[in-house]
Amino acid sequence: MPDQKPVNIVMIEDDEGHARLIEKNIRRAGISNTIHHFLDGTSALEFLYDAADGPVRNGPALVLLDLNLPDMSGTDILAKLKADDSSLRRTPVVVLTTTDDKVEIQRCYDLGCNVYITKPVNYENFADAIRQLGLFLSVIQVPDPDPA
Amino acid sequence: MESARLSALGRDTRANRLIILLLSVGFAALLAAAATAYYVQRQNEADAQLVAHTLAVEANLGAFASATERMETARRGLILTQNPQFAAIMDEAEARSLSQLSDLEALISDNAEQRARVAKLREHLTAYRHHYRSTLGLRGADRETLIAGFANDRGVLEVRASRAVVEAMLTDELSLLREREARQQGTQRLFTLSLIATAILVLVVAAATLLLVRRNLVDLRLSRAELRRLNEGLEELVDARTGELKRANAEIQRFAYIVSHDLRSPLVNVMGFTAELETARKAIAGYLERGDAEGWQAPDAATRLAIEEDLPESIGFIRTSTQKMDRLINAILNLSRQGRRTLAPERLELGGIVGGIVDSLQHRIAETGTEVTVEELPVVVNDRVAVEQILSNLVENALKYLQPGRAGLIRVTGGTDLGRAWVSVIDNGRGIEPRDHERVFDLFRRSGVQDQQGEGIGLAHARALAYRLGGNIEIQSELGVGSTFRLILPLVWQSGVEDA
Repeated sequence: MPDQKPVNIVMIEDDEGHARLIEKNIRRAGISNTIHHFLDGTSALEFLYDAADGPVRNGPALVLLDLNLPDMSGTDILAKLKADDSSLRRTPVVVLTTTDDKVEIQRCYDLGCNVYITKPVNYENFADAIRQLGLFLSVIQVPDPDPA
Repeated sequence: MESARLSALGRDTRANRLIILLLSVGFAALLAAAATAYYVQRQNEADAQLVAHTLAVEANLGAFASATERMETARRGLILTQNPQFAAIMDEAEARSLSQLSDLEALISDNAEQRARVAKLREHLTAYRHHYRSTLGLRGADRETLIAGFANDRGVLEVRASRAVVEAMLTDELSLLREREARQQGTQRLFTLSLIATAILVLVVAAATLLLVRRNLVDLRLSRAELRRLNEGLEELVDARTGELKRANAEIQRFAYIVSHDLRSPLVNVMGFTAELETARKAIAGYLERGDAEGWQAPDAATRLAIEEDLPESIGFIRTSTQKMDRLINAILNLSRQGRRTLAPERLELGGIVGGIVDSLQHRIAETGTEVTVEELPVVVNDRVAVEQILSNLVENALKYLQPGRAGLIRVTGGTDLGRAWVSVIDNGRGIEPRDHERVFDLFRRSGVQDQQGEGIGLAHARALAYRLGGNIEIQSELGVGSTFRLILPLVWQSGVEDA
């Protein structure tokens, strides 16, 4: 890619504690990309699609998504992001949630989720998962949003 | 649901009793009518005989009277004409009178009054006959005298007296005849009346019986219709209640799911930040060590103690507690997930299933030196996963809670009974106290010495599953002797019976 832009991480997570733990572990993995944190779905969507420094206008992004949000279901956001007419349909989405229900996981993959991580209560596993995600983030090429 | 019509059915017994009573009355009336007819007929015959007797007496009297008159006529003729022909007539009439009188005597032997009169008649006849004999030979002047004084002649007087007696007797017999005729009429009237009364009675009884029977039939029909309606209503009611129960159950499942799910979220934080605390403590501890090594001024003993002992201890407790809480929450989550799973009934050979479970536990069986025997088990139609889970739990428990110091002996037996199959897992393990027999089926509750791993979920889960499969789990156990857990399942379980 000729024009390399830094990847913005968009974290949609209503639990501040979880958000902090995720961020800490990402930083520990040596990822220093900007993290935009949103506590609810509405403002996150607003940022994703309309903000001046949002991914649609301003470079590639990676979305960390919690499924339990106060104003809408995370699967709704996932469906919206991965819809055929969405300009962000190529943006990778990592679902990070407490649900380990098989049906729910399958549904997320069906909707186009790229990675599904269950937040385990066992913190070491959790930290490992996040750190691995960080390493993963450092090697993947994230596509630019569709200009369409 | 109360039904006036159905409770009215209770009236039937009374109505039936009334019908039987009425029928009895009707038949009694018929019997009475027959008896009356018989009695009246006999009475009639007796009356007719009496009337005939009276008529015979009258005829006899008439014959006697005419014989007497003929005797007198012949005597007079004999006196006037002296013609011996009259004497012959006289003899003949005399003989007839005598024979008639004898007949009469026999006929009226039952009547004292008439008998007295007949005796008088005989006296008069005797006197007459005597007088006739005495005047038979009179000739000349004597005869003239007899003829001249004929108006006061003894014979004439006797005949006249005899005639009066006959008159009296006839009058008597006539009145007797009237009386008997009246009695006969009375009897006949009685007969007619009783016939009419019986007819009316029979009619009334028949009508009443018909009416009652008809009303009974109508009642029966109505109550049958009512019963059918109630029955249908009952089915609807059962369906409605079942629906409510299913909704309530689904609500509980949803609740358990949401609660357990949402409880995990804060737990992630507790665990996560505890780990962060630990990391921070390690950083400080490292700093202290470096200070020790490099000869810095160490903090006071109390701070050192807090960093090196108090903090790790607290963090350790927080960790084990959160881990335990996580296991419990996971258990609830699994339970509710099981409850949401769609069950798929299929043909299951329980013998094979138990065999598979035993095989999978072979390592532990060998380790504990337990002897496991699986006898012939029934075949049912049910959900494979659920049945496997239940049986696996029962066998695992038997293996888990052995009596220390006694070689384990586990026997799995089964059979069918009244459309239901049962499988018993019998062990010689440590047993369960009677007061805990129901408690072991409660969630998070365990019995006996807590020397085994577990959250107290297995049996609760197993019984919930058994209920869901249309069955049950029963326990029989004696502390220190052993336990028998019996799984009861329907032979054929239909899906949809339980799923809302």
